[in-house]
Amino acid sequence: MEILHGLIGLVRSPVSSTLPQIGSRLYLTWGILWSFPEIRTHILVTSLVISWAITEIIRYSFFGMKEAFGFAPSWHLWLRYSTFLVLYPTGISSEVGLIYFALPYIKASEKYCFRMPNKWNFSFDYFYAAILALGIYVPGSPHLYHYMLGQRKRALSKSKKE
Amino acid sequence: MKVTLVSRSGREFIKGGLELNDSATVADLQEAIHKRTKKFYPSRQRLTLPVPSGSRERPVILNYKKSLKDYCDGNENTLTIVFKDLGPQVSYRTLFFFEYLGPLILYPVFYYFPVYKYFGYEEKRVIHPVQTYALYYWCFHYFKRIMETFFIHRFSHATSPLSNVFRNCAYYWTFGSYIAYYVNHPLYTPVSDLQMKIGFGFGIVCQLANFYCHIILKNLRSPDGSGGYQIPRGFLFNIVTCANYTTEIYQWLGFNIATQTVAGYVFLVVATSIMTNWALAKHRRLKKVFFFYLSNY
Repeated sequence: MEILHGLIGLVRSPVSSTLPQIGSRLYLTWGILWSFPEIRTHILVTSLVISWAITEIIRYSFFGMKEAFGFAPSWHLWLRYSTFLVLYPTGISSEVGLIYFALPYIKASEKYCFRMPNKWNFSFDYFYAAILALGIYVPGSPHLYHYMLGQRKRALSKSKKE
Repeated sequence: MKVTLVSRSGREFIKGGLELNDSATVADLQEAIHKRTKKFYPSRQRLTLPVPSGSRERPVILNYKKSLKDYCDGNENTLTIVFKDLGPQVSYRTLFFFEYLGPLILYPVFYYFPVYKYFGYEEKRVIHPVQTYALYYWCFHYFKRIMETFFIHRFSHATSPLSNVFRNCAYYWTFGSYIAYYVNHPLYTPVSDLQMKIGFGFGIVCQLANFYCHIILKNLRSPDGSGGYQIPRGFLFNIVTCANYTTEIYQWLGFNIATQTVAGYVFLVVATSIMTNWALAKHRRLKKVFFFYLSNY
C-alpha cells in the first residue's frame, strides 16, 4: 500500500526509498520467516522485530499526532529522524543475517524453485535469488541511509527555522 | 570581447573572465576554457546562456559553430556564460563498441564451452539446430550493430558521460548472459520447426529493414554530424517517427518467437520500454521544432 501511495503521488516519499523498505519487510516476513520455520528461533529475529517495532511506533504515532492535532512536538520529530541512526544498522544487519543463516534451509528445501526442462525454457532458483537479494543490500543500504541522513538534515533544520 | 564565466550557483568560474576576439566562435571559447583550466576539455563543457532566476525555461545551449556575437544582447561587447562540467566523457563510438562487444563474446561462450558443468549439469548434451541458428542470428545482430557504429551512424553529440559505460555495459552484458544461459542450456526445449522458421525469417526481414532505416537516418546528416534535427522521410518513417526502433523491437520479437525463453521475452519488454521512451521524446522534440509535423502525423 505504501508503495502504491508513493507511486500515485498520495504521499511525497519517493518510490525509490519506500520500495526497498517495504520490499525488505515483505521479503523477510513472508519469504524467509514464514517460509522457513527453522530460522524463527534465531536470536536475530529478536533484534529484527525490536528494530522494526520501535521505528514504526515512532513513525506512525508521529503521523497520527500530525493528523489529529496538526503538529507534533519537537522531541517527537527529533526521535523520528534520529532513531534510524541506530535502528537502520541493527535492522539491516538482522535482515542480512537472517537471510544468510536461512540459506542452508532454502537450498535443502527446494521451495519456490522452478526447474528446466519446460516449454518456456525458464528456471528460478530461490537459493540464488536469496544470494542476489543479499547482493542488493550492498548498494541499497548506503543509499537508504544516505537518503535518511538527507531527510534528517532537511527536517531538523526546517523545524529550527520555524 | 570579454566573456564572464559563472557556475550554475552564480559564482565566477574563471576569475576575471576570458578575453576573446570579437569574431570568436563558441568553439574558440571552448578552446580558451580548456587552455585555462586544463582539466575541462571541450566535450566536457556545457555552456548555456543564463536564465533569469525563477524562470522555468530550459537554458539555451551554445552551439559550438556559432560566433559569440550571435549570443550577445544588442551591441554589448560582453557576454556572461554559465558553465557546467559534464564529467569525464567518452565518445559514443567507444561506448557502443564496448556495450555491444559483451553480448557478441559472451553468448558464444555458453554455446561452445562446457559452462553448464559449473551449474551442476553433465557435460554431454545434444545441440538442437535452433540453438545453432540462434547463435548465428545473435552474433550477426551484434556484429551488425558494431559495424553500424563505426561506419553508418552519425552522432549528434560526440560524447556520453563515462558513467554510462558502466550502466550500459551492465545492461547489455547481463541480459546477454542471461539469455545465452537459457537458449544454450542442456535442458533447452525447442519450439516447432515452423515456429522457428517464422521467428528467424521475420527477424531477418526486420534486421534488414532496420539497416535501411539507419541508412536513411545517416543521410539526414553530413559526415561531421551537423544537420541537427531533421524529419526522416520515406520507407517506414512515413508511418512512425522512429522506424529504426520499431524494426529493432520487432527483430527481437522474431528472435524470441524462434527461441522461446522467458529471459528473452523479459529482455524484449525492457528494451521495448526503453526505446518507446526514446521514441516518444524524439516525436515530441520533432513536433516542437517542426510545428507542421503535427498535421501529418
